[in-house]
Amino acid sequence: MNLSADVLDLDWAEVDQRLCRFIKDYVNRAGAEGVVLGLSGGVDSSTIAALSARALGGRNVLGLTLFEKETRRSEDVLHAELMVKTFELKSEAVDTTHTLEAFNHSAPVFDSADRLNNGNVKARMRMIYVYYYANRLRLIVCGSSDKSETMMGYFTKWGDVAADISPIMDLYKTQVRSLARYIGVPEEIVEKPSSPALWPNQFAEEELGIRFEQLDLILFGLERFMKPEEIAARLRVKKSLVEAVKRRWLSAEHKRRMLLTAKLEYRTVGADFRLQRSPL
Amino acid sequence: MNGDRRMKERFKIALAQISCRQGNKTENIANISKNISKAKKQGAELVIFPEMSLTGYVIKDEVYDLAERIPGPSTKIIEDLAKKNDMHIIFGMPERSPDTEATLHNSAVLVGPDGYIGKYRKMYLPTHSIFEEKRYFRPGYEAAVFDTDLGKLGFIICYDIYFPEVTRLTRLKGAKLIVCISASPGVRRSYFEILTLARAIENTAYFAYVNLAGIEDGLQFWGGSRLVGPSGRVLVQAKYDVDDFVTHEVDYSDIRPIEAFLPTLRDLRPELFDQLKHDAEQL
Repeated sequence: MNLSADVLDLDWAEVDQRLCRFIKDYVNRAGAEGVVLGLSGGVDSSTIAALSARALGGRNVLGLTLFEKETRRSEDVLHAELMVKTFELKSEAVDTTHTLEAFNHSAPVFDSADRLNNGNVKARMRMIYVYYYANRLRLIVCGSSDKSETMMGYFTKWGDVAADISPIMDLYKTQVRSLARYIGVPEEIVEKPSSPALWPNQFAEEELGIRFEQLDLILFGLERFMKPEEIAARLRVKKSLVEAVKRRWLSAEHKRRMLLTAKLEYRTVGADFRLQRSPL
Repeated sequence: MNGDRRMKERFKIALAQISCRQGNKTENIANISKNISKAKKQGAELVIFPEMSLTGYVIKDEVYDLAERIPGPSTKIIEDLAKKNDMHIIFGMPERSPDTEATLHNSAVLVGPDGYIGKYRKMYLPTHSIFEEKRYFRPGYEAAVFDTDLGKLGFIICYDIYFPEVTRLTRLKGAKLIVCISASPGVRRSYFEILTLARAIENTAYFAYVNLAGIEDGLQFWGGSRLVGPSGRVLVQAKYDVDDFVTHEVDYSDIRPIEAFLPTLRDLRPELFDQLKHDAEQL
């Protein structure tokens, strides 16, 4: 199977149309007033903000800029403001610094050196704010996780991935960038390196150890049941790299399927209770 | 079939491409009823609704509550609408097998001006990708062709279209208008756009394809319902993705010149089917 970059090319007009319809339909069914999202100034959340504005009108989209002193970057603030202006979004800025400090002081086991765990607290704290606004204002939480990061488990369990709907979760990062360009997200945001902003100078590609252009093609091959050796040969990379990506993808399934219990009875939540999804 | 009536060579059909409220039969029947009235006003004598249009397609475990016998309470309502409007109506629904409680079929129902005519049980149940039909349904075993005032109508349902022998069986039983009701999501559109034409061409018959519209649990049905003529020409097509309603005339006299020009039925080779059976068993 061909694994050149063009396999990731989609009909962006159709993708745009489908995702806008998806967002609008869900919001209408839920009887909600609109959507709320964490607007970081990065490409994923900016794409979600733009799609939501195209689907619902900017006045029905609330972008929450959730900053705290350790990771606040003026460039991100400017990009979030640019999105608000470009797509006429509603916005609110929330400084989570004091809430995080209060949490840290209240947890006896808190350790300032435990960077990953403390970073996860930041992601979960953002989730708490987003859901608080959603519940107060009758809004749907629109998540901005993409397929590359979701497959790699590159997110915080119960944190940034928590949402009512995740419209771009079936698009790889490089596809999100293409869609973002198509729908008019400013180029400086489209091109900006992705960061979860859990600690200063944290960048996704550095942490994952691979460029998204390459990662996405490996994931594309795995998605289509290609063997690691086939993918490695096609992409002219080491088989061990593909195998490492595959291991990471498979080992993160616990983060993507969150309800697991022991099967004891007739029908079981998270296993064989198969019900239609009810919107809120 | 009413003996006083003669089979019509020409008549108008309506393709009612609707979206459904999942699990809400009352609301869906109201929508079906509205579209029947519309078909009547536009002079159609047959109106076709999509697969599982009584309940919506994504109903999962609720299917055990929603499935009914055929004929049964819901088909009775549609029968009454058919009588009142002097209309033939085709729609889809989950069927509970007569002698069991939880053996279900994915079925198409035909009612007419004289009431209930017949049903077809889907033979090929997709259970791959996002589809899980075999989890709930038992496959049908019989091709269905019904003799009506509008000629012999053949039935297939959605995934059956990938298996040309199902459509072919309806044609060999005399169907000149073959109806395919469907619940096909957008990722499959390119396949169906080809297969709907292919089934018409290879059988030199009219082929009416009616798909769901709307979104159910994130699954976006692509609509695009169409009537394809016996030469493979799309005679009328509904919009993609959204609810729509289109009508067009069927004229059986168009079949003869096409069948003479491309005699696929004359050239059938029955002995190949024995070979096909043998090889399929070895697969």
